[in-house]
Amino acid sequence: MASMKEINLRIKSITGTRQITKAMELVAISKLSKARERTERCRPFYNELYQALCDISTTSTAKDSPYCQAREAKKSCIIVIAGDRGLAGGYNNNLFKLFEELSADKNVCVLPIGKRSVDYCTRKGYEIISSEYSSVEDIDVGDCFEIAGSLCEMFSECTFDELYVVYTNFASMLTQDPGTLKILPLDASISANTSDNHRFMLVEPGAEAVFNSIVPDSVAGLIWGTVCESFTSELAARRTAMESATSNADDIIADLQLKYNKARKSSITQQITEIVSGAGAE
Amino acid sequence: MSTFHLKIVSPDGVFFDGEAKQLSIRSIDGEIAVLKGHIPFLTAVAVGECRLYVNDGEVPKTAACCGGMLNVSDEEVLLAPTTFEWADDIDIERAEAAMSRAEALLQSASTDADRKIAKRKLERANLRIKVAKKA
Repeated sequence: MASMKEINLRIKSITGTRQITKAMELVAISKLSKARERTERCRPFYNELYQALCDISTTSTAKDSPYCQAREAKKSCIIVIAGDRGLAGGYNNNLFKLFEELSADKNVCVLPIGKRSVDYCTRKGYEIISSEYSSVEDIDVGDCFEIAGSLCEMFSECTFDELYVVYTNFASMLTQDPGTLKILPLDASISANTSDNHRFMLVEPGAEAVFNSIVPDSVAGLIWGTVCESFTSELAARRTAMESATSNADDIIADLQLKYNKARKSSITQQITEIVSGAGAE
Repeated sequence: MSTFHLKIVSPDGVFFDGEAKQLSIRSIDGEIAVLKGHIPFLTAVAVGECRLYVNDGEVPKTAACCGGMLNVSDEEVLLAPTTFEWADDIDIERAEAAMSRAEALLQSASTDADRKIAKRKLERANLRIKVAKKA
């Protein structure tokens, strides 16, 4: 059996670890409620926008816009939204796995968002458009507009032919599913009402002017929605991971405490035996 | 009374979801109004005042509305602006502070892109002040 001193040291070190995991859990919880509120406020906008874009892409006028025309995918751009920090269970790994699957047979360039994502893409040697956005936490709507503006410009200049987002969908506090979203070109095949393809829609003042104005705005809205979802998922994942780490630490501490008490008891018994036998010898 | 279903959603939440009589906004092509039975219609929204008539003979609700799109379909009208603020919610002091900041930015802007951003910010701040003062 390990000595009392050794056990005591281990208890101390695990107590220290437990303090850290507990603190991280509390930080995640306090940030989570705010992030969740933001996601919930943004969700109706995101859903409506996505549905509207899909519907618009089925109309006959939309076919004139380069944003709606599918062209041969020589190069794809992928926005990878991961976390700023680790210690969030499988959050980052699951996302990167999905990203690898998506990019496997494609010629890709990447726009990483979040520190982990920037690190990962740099390490793997992907072509990076900008590593400016290395903090998911600090991104605001304005940044999304910047991203969307420059990406749409690149898309219309044919720098790349497809735009995807890899993000994590916040389903509930306990489940977060990584997912991909194809943003550009606007895809008519996703729309719910495929029955009346090429329906008529009046577009004023002209398809080009309208699409040039609304597509960057909408892309920004979609990116913002996915950023919100991802950030909330990261916090929820971290909360769950840290909660179980803390309870594991509690279990280990209880177990060690028991061992420590046993060791203490046997050492006291031994000492008494020694004293008694010493007294008997006299 | 002839009404249509209107939804106003921005990244900051749902601002209106219900029956409305008339919606007036400024599109990139100029001021437009939507009534019941409008044909399917799509346009981009410019920086401008938005007026919403819910009931007959009532003073319209006004708001500052910038960017995004207006999508009229057979079922409903969707206004998805980039920023949207009801006149009552606008903080005039903040808007004025934003305006002086934007003016300073415009003065100090060195590149065309910076100037464009500053101009847009100034335009937005102006609109918010105008809408707030009217209410």
